[in-house]
Amino acid sequence: MYEPQRLRRYGIQPVLRNSLGSALIVAIALFFLVLLAVLLSDTPGTTLRYFFLGPLQNTYSFGNMLNAAIPLIFGGLGISLAMRAGSFNLGGEGQLYGGAFAATIAAISWSSWGLLGGIAAVVVGALVGGVLAGFSGLLRMKWNTNELITSFLLSNVVVLIINYLIAGPYQDPETNLIATRSIPEFMRFTRILEPSNLSTGFYGALIAVLLVHVYLYHTKSGYELRMVGLNTMFARYGGINALWYRVWPMMLSGALYGLGGAVAIFGTYYTSMREFLLGMGYNGLAVALIARFRPAMVIPAALFFAYIESGARSAMMHSDVTFEIASIVQAVVFFLVTSKVFQTIGTHRRRS
Amino acid sequence: MSEALITILRSSLAIMTPLLLAATGGLFTELSGMLNIALEGLMLIGAFASIVGTALTGNPLFGILIGISGTVAVAALLGFVTLYLKSNVFITGLATNLFASGITVVLAFHLFGNKGVVVFETVQSLPRWDLPLLRDIPIISDLFNHHHVLVYLSWILLILASWVLYRTPFGMRLRAAGLHEKTLISLGLQPKRYRFIAFLISGLSCALAGAILSLNLGAFVPNITSGKGWIALVVIFLGHRRPLGLFFAALLFGFADAFSNYAQGLWNIPADFILAIPYLFTLLVMILLSVYTSRKSKFD
Repeated sequence: MYEPQRLRRYGIQPVLRNSLGSALIVAIALFFLVLLAVLLSDTPGTTLRYFFLGPLQNTYSFGNMLNAAIPLIFGGLGISLAMRAGSFNLGGEGQLYGGAFAATIAAISWSSWGLLGGIAAVVVGALVGGVLAGFSGLLRMKWNTNELITSFLLSNVVVLIINYLIAGPYQDPETNLIATRSIPEFMRFTRILEPSNLSTGFYGALIAVLLVHVYLYHTKSGYELRMVGLNTMFARYGGINALWYRVWPMMLSGALYGLGGAVAIFGTYYTSMREFLLGMGYNGLAVALIARFRPAMVIPAALFFAYIESGARSAMMHSDVTFEIASIVQAVVFFLVTSKVFQTIGTHRRRS
Repeated sequence: MSEALITILRSSLAIMTPLLLAATGGLFTELSGMLNIALEGLMLIGAFASIVGTALTGNPLFGILIGISGTVAVAALLGFVTLYLKSNVFITGLATNLFASGITVVLAFHLFGNKGVVVFETVQSLPRWDLPLLRDIPIISDLFNHHHVLVYLSWILLILASWVLYRTPFGMRLRAAGLHEKTLISLGLQPKRYRFIAFLISGLSCALAGAILSLNLGAFVPNITSGKGWIALVVIFLGHRRPLGLFFAALLFGFADAFSNYAQGLWNIPADFILAIPYLFTLLVMILLSVYTSRKSKFD
């Protein structure tokens, strides 16, 4: 079993190798959830019931849960692609937000072009994300600047600048929200599970998974990308332009984030609100980690994360806990998900 | 020296303190070979626990001690999971940050019924020191006198840290863990143990850094650290992982921050841009630094 060379240096090993270890991690995370509910809630039973069953109880919450998984799938794919090439894209927040904002503005200004304008706006969203991440890749290529840090820093700058643009020059004067104007109705994705927010964007996410999978495992470029990630020196020896694969995977990674932002606009929000996608970038990273950077596994990992978040939202609405318990449960998963001790739990007996 | 420059420099010294404190602790983890991105989360825990502790006990000293115990406990958890459960330090660091932002809001909601800004009216700001030595020297006094206690403590701790790291067996072994851990193993020593202690030290210093933020404000704001832990990490890199370098790197950030605050008053720059300046500035410095290093390595 291979893993990208640079990731091994970071210590990232195949995650969730066996089901026993991962089942244990999920069990521990859920144990903490129960503990929190008992400690913090006056009605722990109700809290837990809404947490676990809330997301599944009707089409509305179920559809919204699937919908919440869409940006996570795009983000998870973006991270996986960069990681496979041995690059670390930590700027997902800014790329997602930037893509969403650019797509919104483009869609509004090109509304006279009809559907073509909508398509162009989605492309613009992806481009903005791609350029933002590609810039960090370029810096790494030219001067070996640590792309993990530059992408993070750039993302923070972008988030703040867009915050300003949304609250300032691009704010819709007709609403009380801090938001841009809405994109025209004919451009919006069709809802597929009324009354929830789930739209055809979900199919888009699934297609993206398929495309990334095919790209990584069934094209020459994808092979070269993985090769560079596995062993840069060897790849260069084999005649692969390794420098190019410092930039290209980051661009793809950012473009996927940007696409995720654009899809969130066209499918769910229709307008860019201040900080409306915040946290999604990091959750994309978590999803990719649980999925071990395998495109196909991104779907269940994203669903798991979306489930926890919707559960917390439902528990918050019907009980006396706050939404942030979700991030504690996610943190527990994060703490354990790369643990080698947990990975070897199932294999111990065989060895001895 | 003009009045404005003195004002900016003086507030640079105050602003850099949390950065310097967090970076000093982060230097220990960094030199022991661990990329500690949890500084941000540890600071947040420190900020929350310190001010809640101060409000409960009525004494900032006890409050800070409570802050330290809480933060060191989380740092111990981080160290345990990373070193003894053998997890990836980057991901556990991210987990710590996520945990910190979650637990502080959950506890604030549970204890005070409020998810937003929690104001503690009983908490007084940190005592300021009047140093008799400096009192009569004109510019020096304006710059260095009458800061709050932790400003001076941060300098003392930095000196202490460089002494521990470069002059004691413990410090040398800790650095050996980062440089070449096999050396330690061949001496029959456990690199893990030194890294674990480094995590605890980073917890201690981040608790102090966080305490400054919340105690000076007299309130806890969700995400009060607002990226300062990350900047502390950059301070470590920018300072070339040396104590004196840390000081000047932190000062540079303090200056950038102080200057943008000052500039805001003059030219009415949008607040979001002001917030963006430290990140943009760090980014530029990172790029320039890497251009410089890559040039240098080409000529060598």
